[in-house]
Amino acid sequence: MTQLLGAVAGGIGVGSIYALLALGFVIIYKSMGVISFAQPAFLLAGTVLVTYLSPEIGFFPALVVGSVAIAGVALVVERVAIRPMVGKAVFVIAIITIGIDIIVRIVSGMFVGSDQRTVRDPWGLDAWEVGGVYVEQRDLAAFAVTTVLVLALFAFFRWTPIGLAMRASALDQEAAMAQGVNVGTVFAVSWALAGALATVAGVFAAAGRTVDQNHWHIALLALPVIILGGLDSLGGAVLGGLVIGITQQVVTTYHRDWFPGLDTNIGSITPYLVMLVVLLVRPYGLFGTREVERV
Amino acid sequence: MNRRSRSVGVLATALTVTLALAGCGRDDDSGSGGAGPGVTDDPCPNAVDDSKGCIYLGTITDLTGVFKGVGEPFTAGQKAFWDEINKAGGVGDYEVDVTRHVKDSGYDPEKHAELFNEIKDDILAVSQSLGTAHTNAILEDATNESILIGPASLGSNWIFDDISIEVGSSYCTEAMNAVDYAADQGAKSIAVVHFPGDYGDDAMVGARIAAEERGLKFTDVPTGTVDGGDDQSAAIGAVLKAKPDYVIIATGPKEMASVVGGTAAQKFTGKFIGSIPSWNAAVLDSPAGPAIQALYMQASSFPTWEADVPGMEKMRAAAGDTAPNDWFSIGYSSGYVMKAILEKALEDDKLDREGLVDVANSLTGIDSEGTLPEGTANWAGDPNDDAVRVTQLNKVDPKASSKISLAVDPFTGPTAENYEFTEPCYLMK
Repeated sequence: MTQLLGAVAGGIGVGSIYALLALGFVIIYKSMGVISFAQPAFLLAGTVLVTYLSPEIGFFPALVVGSVAIAGVALVVERVAIRPMVGKAVFVIAIITIGIDIIVRIVSGMFVGSDQRTVRDPWGLDAWEVGGVYVEQRDLAAFAVTTVLVLALFAFFRWTPIGLAMRASALDQEAAMAQGVNVGTVFAVSWALAGALATVAGVFAAAGRTVDQNHWHIALLALPVIILGGLDSLGGAVLGGLVIGITQQVVTTYHRDWFPGLDTNIGSITPYLVMLVVLLVRPYGLFGTREVERV
Repeated sequence: MNRRSRSVGVLATALTVTLALAGCGRDDDSGSGGAGPGVTDDPCPNAVDDSKGCIYLGTITDLTGVFKGVGEPFTAGQKAFWDEINKAGGVGDYEVDVTRHVKDSGYDPEKHAELFNEIKDDILAVSQSLGTAHTNAILEDATNESILIGPASLGSNWIFDDISIEVGSSYCTEAMNAVDYAADQGAKSIAVVHFPGDYGDDAMVGARIAAEERGLKFTDVPTGTVDGGDDQSAAIGAVLKAKPDYVIIATGPKEMASVVGGTAAQKFTGKFIGSIPSWNAAVLDSPAGPAIQALYMQASSFPTWEADVPGMEKMRAAAGDTAPNDWFSIGYSSGYVMKAILEKALEDDKLDREGLVDVANSLTGIDSEGTLPEGTANWAGDPNDDAVRVTQLNKVDPKASSKISLAVDPFTGPTAENYEFTEPCYLMK
């Protein structure tokens, strides 16, 4: 039982990181109707930047400065490479985000160097033992920060003018424009938010570990999360993140008992198996908007 | 002549001249004026002495992939070695160039093979081929063309190949010695955490063989893929469940740090002995640093950076401001092997590809000035004579410039001493 609870605790930590990543994807999707494949690059760039800032100004200030900086980078990318393409096929914009991802990732990777880097977080590998269950502090920290950010995001969308404008734009872009909503600002803010969220997710994914040029791989796990939660559901992204994280950690932990004949741990592919099942059974996800086709 | 045909004529002439010039250039590079491919009477680029010819050696390594932390310093170490030799007058009437044909495989075996095909006509031998699967991908071609290869890999397969000039103990032998050491310390059980694939499987099989010999309980813990990141929760869970007295670890440094740190955080107090590639001084700055310092030792057959032997003293001088790095040092040391082969080939008037292979397979040892382990370069006998069987254990030492220092003098355990290699260990997984 302690093993299961330990896996669940780890899953909540990892799931929180997935949730932050998925939120970035969902925010852009809701504003533009496009899945941005540039999120992994923003994650890597933000994390690498924090590894440089953290020794100079401390972990938390570095996290804030790094997030703001990558939000700025995302703003520039949106203005230069995405905005001119608005109105073009969604497929074309998605391909452009892949190009942006490759460029930003390669440039960021150049700053990693030969040795692994660290974000110098205050938790490291420290753990609390609660009733025989080891709960890592970094997992609790990731969960706490995600909770705060999710509440802040929901408040932002509920009560701020730009948040309301983003919701209106997501519901019906043309109607929103007719009501005076500046859709360009909505696009810009959504990219900036996604860039900042990717940075926070990347930094917590690096807590207690080291960062190398493959650190962006974790961002791919956001895809099963948004498929599970629903492409346009913020709540779905949070819940989907936690479900995928916990499922993955439990399978990883029990793989050797459940599949003794399999050399390769299937924990790493579990999120994609979940994604496959969801696509087959409920393609719009748990909380996504079901597409209505009139014939 | 109309305008169109005049244009075609001009184009054809330009192409002819270009091809002719390109042909001239290639001849200059590949050494048509010398004894064969990769040997030229013309001086090396940036030659110390313009009156000397040039021997070109190829390098196919990882400068951008998951093992760039190995490839970069290894390549720099080899360059430092040959810079020193060239400054001291080169080898006979030649200087040696290891910089012109350096290729980056990104640790992709397919790319590795493509790059080998790209440079093979312009080199005498390959001074560095990084990766076991990667080197295996070019082995057949290299054998057919008698191109000697220096593998930057410690798989136990190289002793079976005539064109391979491997240095050091294999991962398999290292693991045998590590388990023998653990047994001598009173261990009753061991686990092996390892990458899937040739490197990790080689170490796992060596450890398994030794565990069977010494009657130890054995647990096999494969990790995820080589570039799968450092989420090692499955391996950590398996180690905690097995509760071994010693863990042999054959992964990269990042994974090693995760496993040592992650298990220590849950009060695991068993010891870890890692294969050479599991160590990088940078892990001491990671959150797992204190646990690594307390629980980890590195198994290696090469002397540490600070070793008090003439060759290492020269290496340190050649390194200058370069941060201490095992791979730089091994790259430097591997130069002694190629230098001995080239000198003997010149002495025997065999400075061509076939000659080099003959010479390498006639050697029973070389003078590496203490930089290479006992038994290196004994390629004249059968594979079991080739196999280097010595291992030393290094402890983490923050005061040492390389952050590790000798803890257990070089030794050969009873398992490795008596083991007869009949096939590469990793094939017996």
